[in-house]
Amino acid sequence: MELATQLVTYGILMGCVFAFVALGLSLIFGVMDIVNFAHGEFLMVGMYVAFLISSYLPLDPLVSLPFAAALGFILGIFSYRLLITHILRGPMVAQLFGTFGLMLFLRYLVMFIFGPDVRTLSHGVLVGKQISVGWVSLDASKVMAAGLCLLFFAFVFWMINRTKLGRALRATSLDAEAARYMGIDTEKMNALAWGIGGATVGIAGGLLAHFYYITPTVGMLFVLIAFATVALGGFGSVPGAFLAGIIIGLIQVLGGHYLSELKFTFIYIAYFLTVVLRPRGLFGW
Amino acid sequence: MLLGVQSLVKEFGGLVANADISLELEHGEIVGLIGPNGAGKTTLFNCIVGYYKPTSGKVLFEGEDITGWPAHRVARMGIGRTFQSMKIMPLLTVEENVMVGAYCRTGDRQIARRDAHEILELVNLTGEAHASPTELPIASQKRIELARALATKPRLLMLDELAAGLNPLETKEIVETLHRIKEERNLTLFLTEHVMEFIMRISQRLIVMAAGRRIAEGTPDQVAKDDRVIEAYLGERYAEGR
Amino acid sequence: MGQLLRDIFSFGDRPVIERVILVVFAAIVLAFPWLVESAYARAVMIKFLLFALFALGWNLIGGYGGQVDLGQAKNVGFGAYATALMIVHLKTPFWLTVPVGMFFATLESFAVAYPMFRLRRHYFAIATLCVALVWKELFIFWDWTGGARGVELPIKPTPNFTYMEFGAIGYHYFIFGLFMAQFLFMNWFTKSKLGYQLQAVRDNEDAAASLGINVTGTKVIAYCITAALGAMGGSFMSVYYLYIDPDLVMPLDLSILIAMTVMVGGAGSIWGPMIGAAALIPLDMYLGAWLAGGGYYGIDFIIYGFIIMIIAAYEPRGIWGLIQRMSKKG
Repeated sequence: MELATQLVTYGILMGCVFAFVALGLSLIFGVMDIVNFAHGEFLMVGMYVAFLISSYLPLDPLVSLPFAAALGFILGIFSYRLLITHILRGPMVAQLFGTFGLMLFLRYLVMFIFGPDVRTLSHGVLVGKQISVGWVSLDASKVMAAGLCLLFFAFVFWMINRTKLGRALRATSLDAEAARYMGIDTEKMNALAWGIGGATVGIAGGLLAHFYYITPTVGMLFVLIAFATVALGGFGSVPGAFLAGIIIGLIQVLGGHYLSELKFTFIYIAYFLTVVLRPRGLFGW
Repeated sequence: MLLGVQSLVKEFGGLVANADISLELEHGEIVGLIGPNGAGKTTLFNCIVGYYKPTSGKVLFEGEDITGWPAHRVARMGIGRTFQSMKIMPLLTVEENVMVGAYCRTGDRQIARRDAHEILELVNLTGEAHASPTELPIASQKRIELARALATKPRLLMLDELAAGLNPLETKEIVETLHRIKEERNLTLFLTEHVMEFIMRISQRLIVMAAGRRIAEGTPDQVAKDDRVIEAYLGERYAEGR
Repeated sequence: MGQLLRDIFSFGDRPVIERVILVVFAAIVLAFPWLVESAYARAVMIKFLLFALFALGWNLIGGYGGQVDLGQAKNVGFGAYATALMIVHLKTPFWLTVPVGMFFATLESFAVAYPMFRLRRHYFAIATLCVALVWKELFIFWDWTGGARGVELPIKPTPNFTYMEFGAIGYHYFIFGLFMAQFLFMNWFTKSKLGYQLQAVRDNEDAAASLGINVTGTKVIAYCITAALGAMGGSFMSVYYLYIDPDLVMPLDLSILIAMTVMVGGAGSIWGPMIGAAALIPLDMYLGAWLAGGGYYGIDFIIYGFIIMIIAAYEPRGIWGLIQRMSKKG
């Protein structure tokens, strides 16, 4: 019983993180109908920021979060302005490959700088600690990660639905041309979507660094998880992304417990089954 | 009866694009379909050729019930179509574009090429056979689409706004081309159009649609004087021939 | 029959300069083992030919079909494992194992193709990726495939024509033979009815359907052919490396590399695969290896990534597209 509760709780915790990671991807996809294969790489960069700050400065890795967010934001905007604006002129196939090239570039740049070795955070107020919630004992870092992801998810959700900026973003994602006619600077909106997407996933990376291994190649894994989440939740649905994140988190933790070599295989299968059997996802249109 | 549409209904969610449309085409006719914007003309076309599946009703072609058949089956059955928005294959040459159509009826490259060249001659494009279609003017691209559809050896050719974007001289040329291919290939033509000058001139019979329904039918002269037709168009500031 | 042979072997419909370059290329490759002594250079040439072969196959679905398939490595793996397992456990001669690998790749591809091709481009690409990853993880998980330890092929005295084991020179001509076979196949394919129909589907699905083409069926057939061609290359890998494991023959990076090779060289043209392989493989084998020797990992992929971004942004038609554009101006 305790094991089951623990597994389910972890599933939900991881689910919150996955939902937040998927949010950035969904945002970019919604505003521009372009798939950012480098999304996972932005996350990976966030992880390395946490690693750098906690290893070379006498600071807690939590302090790195704003830096990870800032770097993610900058990376997103730069990627948009330097790469995406150019590849948008080309055929769809080129668009896919453009972000793929960015993914390779970032991944191997980091590998070049830091080497391929796996790293972990050595210290931090939450690293390796446990807290007790009720009768289960949980990793403090995972609880904190889930909590913050939930918080920021809600924040982005609020921003998109209740602020003028968010309305401009939504307008751009629904009909860019019409938005332009209404005086919205869609170029800025696009860049902003990329910036926010990068920032959210940078934060997620900083949080994940507390309990996940840090290597240059984690990016691919997380972008696929993000894809599975977006597909399951339904394109265009933020609540869907959240619920889907929870489901994927549960699949990963439960599946991973019983068949640990295949723990990510279940996610890939989940993606495949979703897009094949219910392309709309749970809540999408 | 070559083509028969019986009580066709097409709904998109709550929107009724085609409501209870019935019509008949006889072999050898040239029939035009007109109506104000939003009347449902292109939707009707798409239901006939298999691009959309009708919500209810029937489509019969040469006695066979083809309702809801997928587009490629309808094409093989003998209905060809051109598109409102140009759907040329930009990476193939003019000749290759037409050959794609010819391959509908043969698997042999020499035969396909020969058929393609015959048709290119019919539409006066022989000189441009090896050109890239994107470098040619609109009027030529329209003829390429026409040629390509013809290459599938249809018995009924459905033309969706063929004259859009053409100047009066080009329109006149395309009318001549259509008459020529109709005679040569023993075709029946079903056109939908906004350019009045074009469709009035070429059609033997007109069917008028408005708001998803069929509201009138007759010769161009009859239809032009029909009160219901004038009323349907009155709401729009509509210039003749653009 | 005569027409078929002509379609396979004739390049008469191509400009003279291309035919000349082809002949020069073939001559160089044929003479290569006698021109160059370095074992490393010979290995680079073999790898170049192998990737040119993979690229040719992928070009069918990716270039002529316009479908971005990011899971070709699974087909390579099917071929490699079919050959390796049959040689090791059933002592089957090499040439009998190749059709088995190709058959399995075709069958699996057929099964997954129909549901996948209903997806929009991005979702389709991800789906192909997921399928390939699932297979790789299964092959690691299963015992009968050797798991993560892989399969080791017996070393026989060379030359051995049952298991196709040779010295370096023998492998060179072996892979060149396979490459030329696929190259001639592609020459025929681009002129065939299926080739035209596939390109029509790539350029405009709606129009293609209106011309009597079964869009999904065409894509599925193309996808299966590509799978079979990839499996053939995988079979070669088994008898060349004499050791395979899922990370060698089925990794995601291989799928990406194959697709990149075609995109960089020029998708949808018959020369693109060769150009791409010529651009990327020596870069990797010389620059990458040199730098890795100094402890600098990943430089080659940094450069790859950069090249891909440049190509996607400025010349989506790849190096061949660039050449064509420049020759039109000149």
